[in-house]
Amino acid sequence: MPKVKVPRKSTAIDMTAMCDVAFLLLTFFILTTKFRPQEVVQIDIPSSTAQIPIPDKDILMFQIAPDGKVFFGLDDQPTRLGLLDRLETGYNMKFTPKQRDAFRLTELWGMDVRDLPKYLDMDANARANAVQPGLKIDTTGGEHQLEDLILWSRQTNNNLRIAIKADKTTEYKAFDKVIEALQNRKVNRFNLITSAKGSKE
Amino acid sequence: MAEMNVPESGAKKGKKKARSKKMSTRVDLTAMVDLGFLLITFFMLATTFNKPKTMEVNKPAKEKDEKEQPAIKMSKTLSLLLGNNNKVYWFVSPDEVNADTKLELDSVDYSSNGIRKVIQRRIKEVHEMWTDTTNLFVMIKPLPSSKYKNIVDILDEMTISNVKTYAILKPDDPVDSLVCLNIGQPRK
Repeated sequence: MPKVKVPRKSTAIDMTAMCDVAFLLLTFFILTTKFRPQEVVQIDIPSSTAQIPIPDKDILMFQIAPDGKVFFGLDDQPTRLGLLDRLETGYNMKFTPKQRDAFRLTELWGMDVRDLPKYLDMDANARANAVQPGLKIDTTGGEHQLEDLILWSRQTNNNLRIAIKADKTTEYKAFDKVIEALQNRKVNRFNLITSAKGSKE
Repeated sequence: MAEMNVPESGAKKGKKKARSKKMSTRVDLTAMVDLGFLLITFFMLATTFNKPKTMEVNKPAKEKDEKEQPAIKMSKTLSLLLGNNNKVYWFVSPDEVNADTKLELDSVDYSSNGIRKVIQRRIKEVHEMWTDTTNLFVMIKPLPSSKYKNIVDILDEMTISNVKTYAILKPDDPVDSLVCLNIGQPRK
């Protein structure tokens, strides 16, 4: 009987197409990606039917945590440095080059302005994990830190738009304080950040 | 897994002469694909796809003198007090308050059956009472205990019901304080 010879097939597959697809997707993701910003506090934003996308640059963002802590964030680094200069003169402080560099990279912070140097002296890891008390809102001693921050940021960058991002469960009290400060600085137009509603009920 | 050109059939025996060996031009792509997918995974996880939307809010500029602001007929308005526990208290302030004015106060929720019905009914009422072109003016007065979500919801309702004239105000009207007393929630 003749032996039936099963032809041996190669197990290797042609990967060219797969490789093409992989790199196509990769290119797409690289180009569209915008990195998730660091999160100091977890904020769960409410959804709405608003359809205006948030502008890409020149944003001054106030984030309000569920417990009413307010955090302050500027999106671009030159504005942050400009604000720091104003803080130096306004609050009689002196920042070392290392502190300035740390502030330049800080996306979001919330504390008494006078505690800033101490915070900026920490190394990057400690800063990320530090619990921040929130901006100083009360105006004891004639200091209006919140209003100063608004005014000086806007003086540094004229095109700044104000955005407020608050948690669903944030009480109106905290929100009102921020708005009050904004209005005292003649900012009557601001953006509330919401997520798009999935489906209308 | 380098790929080899394995001749499957044919006369292989006869041609086994001193022929220079032809190298395969194929390259092993496995590692490259691995790397590609690794990077894809990274970028997929790092990216924020759903860009948040914004809602623009314009607050009236603070007038130094209260009298500069034009008065509005209360019968063209609807007052909404945003209270705690996701409730809206709505009422129509009387044009003039005197000893025997009665106020109808009701509470609804933020669903499409709740506040939306109230707003739409009130729009119709104002149209019937005044002219068809009279716009309803909604006064939104959040109490301190209301949540941020409530404000977003109510602003949303304004868009949905197409109410163009509305304002976020402080509940410092005498009528408001009465209502707050009634529902047992602090006004400030």
